[in-house]
Amino acid sequence: MISCRNLTRRFGDFTAVQALTLEVPAGAICAFLGPNGAGKSTTVKMLTGLLAPTSGEAEVCGLNVAAHPFEIKKVIGVLPEDLGLFDDLTVEEHLLLTGDIYGVDHRQTRARTDQLLHALSLDHGRHTFAASCSHGMRKKTAFAMALLPNPRVLFLDEPFEAIDPVTAKIIRELLVSVARHGVTVFLTSHILSMVERIASQIVMIRKGSMVWNSSVADLPQSLEDHYFDLVESPVVEELEWLGSPRS
Amino acid sequence: MARLAAILRALALAYRRDWTALQSLAGNNFFLATVFFMGKAGGFLYLILGLVVLFPMSTDPMRKIPASRLALWPLERRERRLLRLVSPWVNPITWVIAGLAIWTVGRTITAGLWAFIAGVFLAGFLLSDLPFPSAPSMWRPIPAFPGRLNQLIRKNVREILSTLDFYCALILSLSAIGFRIAGVDMPGEAFMAMALLVVLALASYAQCLFGLDGEGGLSRYRLLPLRGWQLLAAKDAAFLLVAIALTLPLAPLPGAGAACVALAAGHAPAVEKPRTQTRWRFTMGVLIWNGVLQIVFMAMAASTIWTHPWALAPCVAAWLGSLWWYGREMERRMQV
Repeated sequence: MISCRNLTRRFGDFTAVQALTLEVPAGAICAFLGPNGAGKSTTVKMLTGLLAPTSGEAEVCGLNVAAHPFEIKKVIGVLPEDLGLFDDLTVEEHLLLTGDIYGVDHRQTRARTDQLLHALSLDHGRHTFAASCSHGMRKKTAFAMALLPNPRVLFLDEPFEAIDPVTAKIIRELLVSVARHGVTVFLTSHILSMVERIASQIVMIRKGSMVWNSSVADLPQSLEDHYFDLVESPVVEELEWLGSPRS
Repeated sequence: MARLAAILRALALAYRRDWTALQSLAGNNFFLATVFFMGKAGGFLYLILGLVVLFPMSTDPMRKIPASRLALWPLERRERRLLRLVSPWVNPITWVIAGLAIWTVGRTITAGLWAFIAGVFLAGFLLSDLPFPSAPSMWRPIPAFPGRLNQLIRKNVREILSTLDFYCALILSLSAIGFRIAGVDMPGEAFMAMALLVVLALASYAQCLFGLDGEGGLSRYRLLPLRGWQLLAAKDAAFLLVAIALTLPLAPLPGAGAACVALAAGHAPAVEKPRTQTRWRFTMGVLIWNGVLQIVFMAMAASTIWTHPWALAPCVAAWLGSLWWYGREMERRMQV
């Protein structure tokens, strides 16, 4: 469902993503992991047609991303890094906008909007403008926008970050459910415990290069330990001045 | 005292940055037109501009500190009181009002004017501390429009209503309507000229159509399965709705024609040189060439349509041609 070959993106001398090659089958939940600045968001942008690769090519739903950027937008749902919300629209208006733009029948849009707002505990804030929403509400709104048109592939950039545990669980269950119905999910996250529970495929990236790609079952150790071994091990530094008398 | 000084320094810095309200005038078509073309009437127009700018500039400087942050800072009660007392002097408008007060001593006519200006300042200062709704929520009840671009058009209308350009145009439009209602004998050309002025006050926004969308909004545009011309059309529809509504009681056809021309000339900088704008400020367009050409073409269009209404057709054609061309350009630029 998602495939890329030698996908590379350079910004001047800096190589953000280096020759990425991977396949994600239909109905899989692929977790794309790596530290900040590793190239995760750049990859998502290239796969969703927001950023042209310097070289290499990518296909989503059998469509070449560079050749068919408009057609691809119709079949994917995206939760972008910056959430992509308009300050001047309310939570509900964002969902109605999505239904209108993706050609979903008006009655269906209304019904799906109500269901999504309820499922994501956004009922109370449906008439709140995005500019006045908390970060969690904004993230849930953007997530609902990604789901509403019933996409074939979901690209989610850090869906579990900055939301309450109950909503995180709801999103987790929703993702497992949509994957069961054949929707492919490609997500980035730093919350390894959450990822380990739902992902069927793990891809790790470090400094733009892929360092691991396997199913969860093929991980040689726990995801966290493997991540620290392969990607980045935490260095805990002692800050002696903390707790000492003030000078 | 060191804590207090640090806070006041930060406030002064924030205020210096906030002077975009005045800087924005330099890139505004309306300002340019009043400078070069309005002659004596310029005084009246400057007064309108001045009042529209003065009001947002009169806000309480303490509002710039988030309430939760202020509450957390380890300030003693005495320091808090002192901060309350001294902070208004961070706002340069306070010094201007004080200077004017000294200057007007003994001058009875100017004392009245001083009281008026100080009143506007005081209202702005006190009202800024009241819990008013934020800019978008003030304009919640925008009607729905037919078609799939409905929500985008509503959003775009709300954006226009959060610029000072709109309020300047509104005051001009209401003034002309007032003359009409009062039955003041005015030649028809005067209403055409007022309609042109109203559109002129809005015209800089046509150069910065995406200036208030923010990073999030711009990335959403790129994700939506919409053609570039459709995104531009949603912007233009909002602009035309506002412009036509304000010029309808004055000279509707010249107003509509000038609005079409403003958009046709404004698409190029809006798409090719996007500029981020600030709410409750005048829109800062690209004055040299784009702004000047926009003003000249608008004046030509409005005056021609006044005498030959059929001239509206080429104006609409120019707008549609520009919509198609810059829609394609936008699509090209959306994939970088």
